[in-house]
Amino acid sequence: MKKLMTGLTVAGAIFAATSLMTTTASAACGEIKMAEFNWASGELLANVDKIILEKGYGCTVELVVGGTTAIFASMNEKGVPHIAGEQWVNALRETLDPALKEGRLHAINKGPITGLGEGWWIPEFTAKAHPELKTALDILDHPELFPDSEDPSKGAFVGCPAGWGCQHVNNSLFRAFEMEKKGWVLVDPGSAAGLDGSIAKANERKQNWFGYYWSPTSIIGKYNMQPVPFGVEFAGADHWNSCIVKEDCPDPKKTSWIKSEVYTIVTDEFKKSGGEINDYLAKRVYPGPIMGEMLVYMADNQAAGPDAAIEFLTKHEAVWTKWVSPEVAAKVKGSL
Amino acid sequence: MALSDSLPKVLTKFPEMGRADLRDFKKGIDETFRSFTRTYGEGIEDFFYPLKIFMVWFEKLLVGTPWPLMIIVLAILVYIGSRSWGLVVGTIASLLLIGYLGMWTDTMKTLALVSVSTFVCIAIGIPLGILMSKSNRVQAVIVPILDIMQTIPAFVYLIPVLMLLGIGKVPGLIAVCIYAIPPVVRLTNLGIRLVDKDVLEAADAFGASPRQKMFSVQLPLALPNLFAGVNQTIMMALAMVVVASLIGAQGLGSNVLKAVNNQYLTLGFMNGLAIVAIAIVFDRVSQKFGQRLQKHSEVVHG
Repeated sequence: MKKLMTGLTVAGAIFAATSLMTTTASAACGEIKMAEFNWASGELLANVDKIILEKGYGCTVELVVGGTTAIFASMNEKGVPHIAGEQWVNALRETLDPALKEGRLHAINKGPITGLGEGWWIPEFTAKAHPELKTALDILDHPELFPDSEDPSKGAFVGCPAGWGCQHVNNSLFRAFEMEKKGWVLVDPGSAAGLDGSIAKANERKQNWFGYYWSPTSIIGKYNMQPVPFGVEFAGADHWNSCIVKEDCPDPKKTSWIKSEVYTIVTDEFKKSGGEINDYLAKRVYPGPIMGEMLVYMADNQAAGPDAAIEFLTKHEAVWTKWVSPEVAAKVKGSL
Repeated sequence: MALSDSLPKVLTKFPEMGRADLRDFKKGIDETFRSFTRTYGEGIEDFFYPLKIFMVWFEKLLVGTPWPLMIIVLAILVYIGSRSWGLVVGTIASLLLIGYLGMWTDTMKTLALVSVSTFVCIAIGIPLGILMSKSNRVQAVIVPILDIMQTIPAFVYLIPVLMLLGIGKVPGLIAVCIYAIPPVVRLTNLGIRLVDKDVLEAADAFGASPRQKMFSVQLPLALPNLFAGVNQTIMMALAMVVVASLIGAQGLGSNVLKAVNNQYLTLGFMNGLAIVAIAIVFDRVSQKFGQRLQKHSEVVHG
């Protein structure tokens, strides 16, 4: 999914890389180049890191805006930026794994945000009204609770917009769970706006809704959508990559969604010279609900990364002060 | 020294509303609209329910009809409309090609959406045009609204349509009609207003009632313009197919979106050209039909 939102092309990556090459790394708190991913949680994460590193550790931080592929290509090839806070790695496995193995890059934090990933969701009021719906398997037995507006005798499962990578996944799972036989239709919302709109409409009108989304996102946070456990085991990365993600896979098996892995990645050079900053990056874990709340704040107030970072640091002291030593925390607090 | 340096600050810096006020202003309207959808959304959805049932039924009919029968029916319709064998052959050939390239079902879905949309647009548009032609005041109100409908970016009105009606066929139809209805309204109005004053005087002299004047004199004489309007409405409805599929109206449009999202060049062009093929058929048939109607009216009134 994140692939979609990160529209930078390879050309952009090379441009970013060459323009960064002029200043070489001088960590241990001189100048640090940090990636700022171009989606809301990425912006927040980068800006919080920037404030803490600058005010708490006395670094100079320059943010480099980009998408997953561009930033990763630049880090991998040129060694800059030095830190990527919220790197979605599922799509990068083939290039990332060798880089980690060779020690060019290090995954210093293998989960900077908890509870994140793709999957199936229902609104909070649906979950409360029907506590018996514990897993996707339970929901699939009750299509009548989620009537399709165009054919109310069927249940509506809102899948991915046409052309997104996850469209194939939802198609495969739709067949694997034999949803058609159980009385479901797979609804194509057409676009991100259509998908968001259908969730917003369902929540405003208190209509049941069942479909695909991902977290951390403001819409999940805003309506407190509940992730639905699949009720089956993950069928393995091999099956996932060779069948579930493909169009027209002949025999998809029931499986839960692949775990979305997000790492904080640093370059080797940074890791060697970064000292205590490495400890901070390793400890820095945002609880999912707090991240959700921040994303709602950003969407509601149309706040950019820097504003949101200050909001986070003032509102959620209990969260971030655990990531740093008391002295550093005091310095950061003093600067706000 | 730049000009802006020598001017007082109030002239160089626009007196803006202020960030916080602007935010509250936007949030206030959003919130009002949200509570509106909570209160009336259900009712509005119920209002469109018959239309939804009809669209679902019509799409099922087109998709469910065996393809040879569908082609025969369409060929007959094209012949009745145009009386042109060339056009009939062209229609059959393009439908066969569309089917052969695996786009039959999607084309039928698009055809269903566009036919129903056009029908709804005409059913609302012509009476509205007649009303406009009768009163300058009504015209003064409706023309700016039509201007807005034609120029406002479609994405803007997709948001309220989505919140009120969700995703699917009816919101798709509404999105299509907002964009496609203006030409038929404008040209009906224009056609009636352009009818010769002498002809109307003659009708008055014969003691025609206003109703007779409208249906036997003004409308028949307005037909060339009126049909130009219908034709434009159909074309614009087809052009909106892709936008309608952004809110879940299935058909060729969703394949175009899929192609755009993945840089599938061939898929994009195939589906785009299928839309073009339908458009050309609709265009030629409606033009020929319009021309024939005018011939008849010339015999009667000329």
